[in-house]
Amino acid sequence: MRQRSLVILTSVLTTGALTLTACGSRDDSGDKSGDSGATTLTIGVDAPLSGENSTTGLGIQYGAQIAVDDANKNNWVPGVKFKLKALDDKAQPATGQSNATTFTGDKTAVGAVGPLNSGVAQTMQQVFASANMVQISPANTAPELTQGKNWQTDKKRPFKTYFRTATTDELQGSFAAGYAYNGLKKKKAFVVDDKQTYGAGLAKIFNEQFKKFGGKVVGTDHVNTGDKDFGSLVTKIKNSGADLLYYGGQYDESALITKQLKDAGVKIPLFGGDGMYASTYIEAAGKAAEGDLVTAIGVPADTLPAAKQFIQTYKDKGYKGDYGAYGAYAYDATTAIIKAVKAAADANGGKVPTDINDLRSKVVDGVQKSDFEGLTGKVSFDQYGDTTNKQLTVYQVEKGAWKAVETGTPDDLQ
Amino acid sequence: MNTLPQQLANGLLLGSMYGLIAIGYTMVYGIVQLINFAHGEIFMTGAFGALTVYFYILPDGTSMALAVPLMLLGGAIVAILIAVGAERFAYRPLRGAPRLAPLITAIGLSLALQEVVRNFYPGADRARAFPGLDTTHDIGSVTIKDADIFLILAAVLCMAALALFVRRSRTGRAMQATAQDPDTAQLMGIDTNRIIVIAFAIGGFFAAVAAVAYGLKYGNVDYRMGFLMGLKAFTAAVLGGIGNIYGAMLGGVVLGIAETLASAYIDEIPGMSQLGGQSWANVWAFCLLILVLLFRPQGLLGERVADRA
Amino acid sequence: MTETTKPPAPDAVPTPPALRGLIPLPAAAARALLLAGGIATAASAFLAWTWTAEFPGDLTINGYPGGLQWLTFTAGVLTALFALASYGIRGLGWLLPARNNAPLVLTALGGFAVTWFTVIAISAELGGVVNLEPGGWIAAIASLLPLLGAFALPQEKTGTDGTKAALKAYIAKPDRIPAPQATSGWVQRAVITAVTIIGLGVFTYGIDTEYGELFVGYLFVVTFAMWALHTAGLLDRFSQLIAANRSFTLAMGFAAAIAFPFTQTDDHYANIGVNILIFGTVALGLNIVVGLAGLLDLGYVAFLGVGAYTAALVSGSEFSTISGVHLPFWASALAGAAASLVFGVLIGAPTLRLRGDYLAIVTLGFGEIFRIAVNNMDGDSGPDVTNGPNGIANIPDLNLLGFNFGQAHDIGGFTLGRFANYYLLMVLIMAIVVLVYTRAADSRIGRSWIAIREDETAATAMGINGFRVKLVAFALGAALAGLAGTVSAHVTYSVVPTPYQFAGSTPPNSAFLLAAVVLGGMGTVAGPLLGAALLYLLPEKLVFLQDKSLLAFGIALILLMRFRPEGIIANRRRQLEFHETGQLDVPKQTTLTDEPAVTKAGA
Repeated sequence: MRQRSLVILTSVLTTGALTLTACGSRDDSGDKSGDSGATTLTIGVDAPLSGENSTTGLGIQYGAQIAVDDANKNNWVPGVKFKLKALDDKAQPATGQSNATTFTGDKTAVGAVGPLNSGVAQTMQQVFASANMVQISPANTAPELTQGKNWQTDKKRPFKTYFRTATTDELQGSFAAGYAYNGLKKKKAFVVDDKQTYGAGLAKIFNEQFKKFGGKVVGTDHVNTGDKDFGSLVTKIKNSGADLLYYGGQYDESALITKQLKDAGVKIPLFGGDGMYASTYIEAAGKAAEGDLVTAIGVPADTLPAAKQFIQTYKDKGYKGDYGAYGAYAYDATTAIIKAVKAAADANGGKVPTDINDLRSKVVDGVQKSDFEGLTGKVSFDQYGDTTNKQLTVYQVEKGAWKAVETGTPDDLQ
Repeated sequence: MNTLPQQLANGLLLGSMYGLIAIGYTMVYGIVQLINFAHGEIFMTGAFGALTVYFYILPDGTSMALAVPLMLLGGAIVAILIAVGAERFAYRPLRGAPRLAPLITAIGLSLALQEVVRNFYPGADRARAFPGLDTTHDIGSVTIKDADIFLILAAVLCMAALALFVRRSRTGRAMQATAQDPDTAQLMGIDTNRIIVIAFAIGGFFAAVAAVAYGLKYGNVDYRMGFLMGLKAFTAAVLGGIGNIYGAMLGGVVLGIAETLASAYIDEIPGMSQLGGQSWANVWAFCLLILVLLFRPQGLLGERVADRA
Repeated sequence: MTETTKPPAPDAVPTPPALRGLIPLPAAAARALLLAGGIATAASAFLAWTWTAEFPGDLTINGYPGGLQWLTFTAGVLTALFALASYGIRGLGWLLPARNNAPLVLTALGGFAVTWFTVIAISAELGGVVNLEPGGWIAAIASLLPLLGAFALPQEKTGTDGTKAALKAYIAKPDRIPAPQATSGWVQRAVITAVTIIGLGVFTYGIDTEYGELFVGYLFVVTFAMWALHTAGLLDRFSQLIAANRSFTLAMGFAAAIAFPFTQTDDHYANIGVNILIFGTVALGLNIVVGLAGLLDLGYVAFLGVGAYTAALVSGSEFSTISGVHLPFWASALAGAAASLVFGVLIGAPTLRLRGDYLAIVTLGFGEIFRIAVNNMDGDSGPDVTNGPNGIANIPDLNLLGFNFGQAHDIGGFTLGRFANYYLLMVLIMAIVVLVYTRAADSRIGRSWIAIREDETAATAMGINGFRVKLVAFALGAALAGLAGTVSAHVTYSVVPTPYQFAGSTPPNSAFLLAAVVLGGMGTVAGPLLGAALLYLLPEKLVFLQDKSLLAFGIALILLMRFRPEGIIANRRRQLEFHETGQLDVPKQTTLTDEPAVTKAGA
């Protein structure tokens, strides 16, 4: 009896093992059978899609989605259907890295768009570099990511697979400083940041550049993301006699700061970066936002028909999230990957290379050579993987809406 | 310009809000020894309840004098319903369970409440505008606005009412009895389940008052507003002596003032210039808490319940 | 826990003729229905359930199950096996030692749950029941049959109380399970080996599930199958086997853990594996503090952070503020553990004199202080130590004795990728932690911890230096977390302040660590590891719910605590305490309820 039960146990085990192996083989064949009509290639998106930062993250996801839909609809690459695979990194580095390994392990994936946070990017760069797969961030602004640790003195590109359509803190901070000093004629600035990679970097550059122009920084402070009460900070600003508040960070905090600032009777404008360039800022701050300014990359969207079309599509589809901050950059990043696939196919006699590793390395080369008109202006990358688009625009809140007041490059405002 | 009076006012206002929320922690803890970590989210839902009244129930253009009491009512109904519901369906079944089980429930509840609001409340995936009371008044060198006056008045009135209720009313005395010795209280014919529900309800009401004050003061609300406020309020409750309602209010005010002053002046101390500013304020607040507990382990005003750790 | 709510049964296996089932059917017909239904359910997996491959797993092929269909198949086979065993088929008797109905009911429920979940998911995702092929309908009906059969089986207590009590009786574990026949040592070991292999297979399948629907289906089948085995008494028998062969089981467990990366072709799953191990190791460290010594620590993740930052600073990364220092791994691991230990003592020494929940808030405060401090120490708003929000990036891969962890290696025909290398390193560290944990728990100091946890006053009166043993627990827990942190810094290439917060939506954070310990089962070794795996995998696999995933996760936490407050793997001692009123661990609140103090869990 005992022996027999062992025999049965063994047979159950064997069945189980066979079940598992069979399961594996089926999945492989399933992929092949789906290829009958067109080759399906996957483009990954990594951004925070739930919880904190998700509003901005969803803007990235759906910005990329619209680019993929456009490519499929217009048949940009004949014989190839693109599919978007969006993964949520919850703004956590380890999760972002795990998503990166998902993409590199996917044998149909040709490239990835994302992430939002520079801290997450650091953990992903090496994974993509090892797989020789292109990664384009629509939002990372830390100069170290493309130009190495000593970017101020000795630029050196650490990863040749990493690109970004967002501009660096350096350009944006300088542009803002120039406009504040020369355009707005402000002489005394109070500089605040949110101690995140993006905000702190931006505020630091602004601080340096503003002083270089001859302005005076009458005070600095740092806040935490998630803070709600800025009473103490506002009193400090009031007491400092500043005529401009520069804020490095996202709209969540800056909308509260500008409201509390104006309520306390300090009628000075708040100036920020592209992380604040969203209608949510105006909705959350209400009348207090009037006269506040931001810098954002590219020329104003309403001067380009393609950009207007993009915004219309986003609204028509009822997508969640906020396209304002990074949606258009995500669209351009995705388009750059698609165009690189097309270049690889053209060079290969109209067919995409079948070996995925070959294709990926060709896409990296193709993205490096990108040169097309995107939603935010001309999309091309320099030798570090940074966008060559140095056009920046200053927007100001006027009657409850963002209005472009100045467009140029940092050099124009010297 | 001397900024100290203004900074003290800033701290007092922030602290009053902490104190109002801390009442919820302290009442529940005093009676069932449960840290209701989801209380911050009850505060948040109160704000959305009030917002619903203003935007979806009242006609446009209702004067604020009429709208504010109705918003208080709406916020209170929502917050109390959720607080009592949480007690009935999430915490009560766990009353005999290991001490940590309700804590995990609270974490889950906290996540679930945030996500329900974010997913299902229109436009709540980002900050939503809240009507404000923004008329400002200058009193000496201090500038305050109507919302601040509302907050202070609400805190004082609510505290006075609660003190009267706990001392004078039959239910209040039953509550004290339950906190001191639940077994005996039950033997004396007190329906302890009812007392616990009432404690949760009072906590919900105070949270709703704080939530309306918050909305009026800051002009917008969002689904994550409860997390940090809840954490600070819990700190305030412990600082004042958990289980003690006066302690909760005092702890809140002390914490608020400490935070504000740390943020304002620490960087002026020689050698500390880099350790000041708002980003370090929480560190100093927690340091203060640790110091107080080291020298006065029962909190500023002491616990009202027997130590039964 | 349901069994304790029942009054002691007069005697086992009484079969008076008055017994009948919930659904009026002759017993023989019920049993036949059960068997036939099980087989039908398994067979229905071979049909096409839907017309399009849009639904993940491609359930469109006749004659070859895919994805969720395999789970239905497995559940059907299990039902049929238990049904056969209930017929008393020779050789299957061991499956049903107590001849009770519960395993039959539960396996039938499992098949029903996974099949109906699939059918509903197809309808919901593709928009309407029209997307079901006849096979889908057949499967739905077939999986209902064994359930009907099971509830038609004769059962005590039906008809006497309400339906609720009757349903409860169907899934109750019998009070007495006949003792197994004595088996020789090698058979016992063979059984343990077989179970380990099956366990590894089941676990690997769970990690490898490619889409969330499959994972949910998997959870259904595994939960009901384990529950069925529990009510059949097989889990108890297996625990006895383990108890008799402790070190062998431990060795098999580690062998299975080592085998995991060799079963994987995709480094992504090794990446998940290493993250689970890091999370699990830290949870185990926390278990010393919370589970054994009973100290509520709400800022524990900070110790992981201290270890990670220490390792990053001495890793030779160019971003480190003490760059140029490049210690070998053994030294940086020790440094990380030592730094955490120092912090543990620094925090513990002044605060461990506080009682109960005051300690909780102080540790929470410390956790926040750590996060804010590292976020500010960038030379701008604080001393230049950690690079603030930018963190320390580009941490080089480990190189141990010429073995470069960053590269893929071929070992005996298997390719081990980068994450598989780190996974194996973490298994080693996990082994050390498990060793430390078990040795400490069984030692003099471990018993002091438990004594302190149960009643500090009494323990102190008996001569235990409460403060000192609590400090040891605190410091030891901290050091173990720091050790795990040193590896995690290398795995993720960088350390930044964001993960080290009190609560967030993804592990590790202090709230999730605590949840892993409590969910898995306090005071056990396997509990926190299982809890950690579950807490890591759930958010990862629930992405198909998109922006509702966190909501689902929150609700899952509430429900798990509602129905299993003592954790999935309950400590024996704790379970006993939990079910006896008047014990010190059960606080006084129990008397506040009008109901009997035992929970209604499992209802």
